[in-house]
Amino acid sequence: MTATVEKIKSEDSYQINGKTFRSRLLVGTGKYATNELMAQCLEASGTEIVTIALRRVNLDAKGEKTLMDFVDPKKYTLLPNTAGCYSAEEAVRVAHLSRATGISDFVKLEVLHDEKTLLPDPIATLEATTILVKEGFTVMTYTSDDPVMAQKLEQAGAHAVMPAGSPIGSGQGVLNPNNIRIILEKLKCPVLIDAGVGSASDVAVAMELGVVAVLLNTAIAHAKDPLKMARAMRHATEAGRLSFLAGRIPKKLYAQASTPQKDF
Amino acid sequence: MKLIVNGESRDFTDGVSLEGLILQLGVRKETVVAEVNRKIIQMDQRSGLKLSDGDQIELIQFVGGG
Repeated sequence: MTATVEKIKSEDSYQINGKTFRSRLLVGTGKYATNELMAQCLEASGTEIVTIALRRVNLDAKGEKTLMDFVDPKKYTLLPNTAGCYSAEEAVRVAHLSRATGISDFVKLEVLHDEKTLLPDPIATLEATTILVKEGFTVMTYTSDDPVMAQKLEQAGAHAVMPAGSPIGSGQGVLNPNNIRIILEKLKCPVLIDAGVGSASDVAVAMELGVVAVLLNTAIAHAKDPLKMARAMRHATEAGRLSFLAGRIPKKLYAQASTPQKDF
Repeated sequence: MKLIVNGESRDFTDGVSLEGLILQLGVRKETVVAEVNRKIIQMDQRSGLKLSDGDQIELIQFVGGG
């Protein structure tokens, strides 16, 4: 039986713009106490895709180690984000900068509306998606859980559409599973839950809905024990995926005995 | 001459190249992306690019993010 489960896991892959992945957990590199801990958590999570950000060099920190000393681009597919961008123009600029590093042409596109909610600006997000797809980027777009918007993004050529389960960093889990179900029904491109998960059970719930993967950062980085949580998230992703593939029983109002009730 | 680097005005010798500026600042050149006056300069063009007084330079690198 174990062999069968391992076989399912090893054969169960998905693709983003032609690139194949097996781990269904994408992990961010922000908010960790140290880069060393971050690197250990990435390893423990089993992730293959790692999000990173671009910021100004600190000119007073000469010769100090940088993030890239802790994240091996040969081991992980790097997914630079456009976090902190509030217009399509800014997001496109950041994508251009990240591609100029020569490290990745993947982009986690997020164009935000305001700092308090960190909700995406749908119009600017659509505009930036259209531009970056035309420019040959592999565009994975962060969006709200609005099924109509998700369809518009797919039509614009997004290689993956990534609705938030709940607001970024809020740890509230998947607040509107029905919207995610509708998105999954309507879209053909990969759909990932990006943001909002707080615990292993949140991840399992997301995976059981049928999304191809979950992207998270804070839930590991700010856990009391990030390394343990990284392992928990790995197992939850796998458990949720297997549960989705296995197919859950229907929910019923009344009990159904598990043990035969006759022939004592 | 004065150059604006990451928003800060700093003095440099006249005619310094972008490559030279990165070296003088002690920034590890292989990990940084550079913009001059909002235009991205590819790594192989840095040494040939002479900077002028008042140029705005942005030096960007990867950091942790979600």
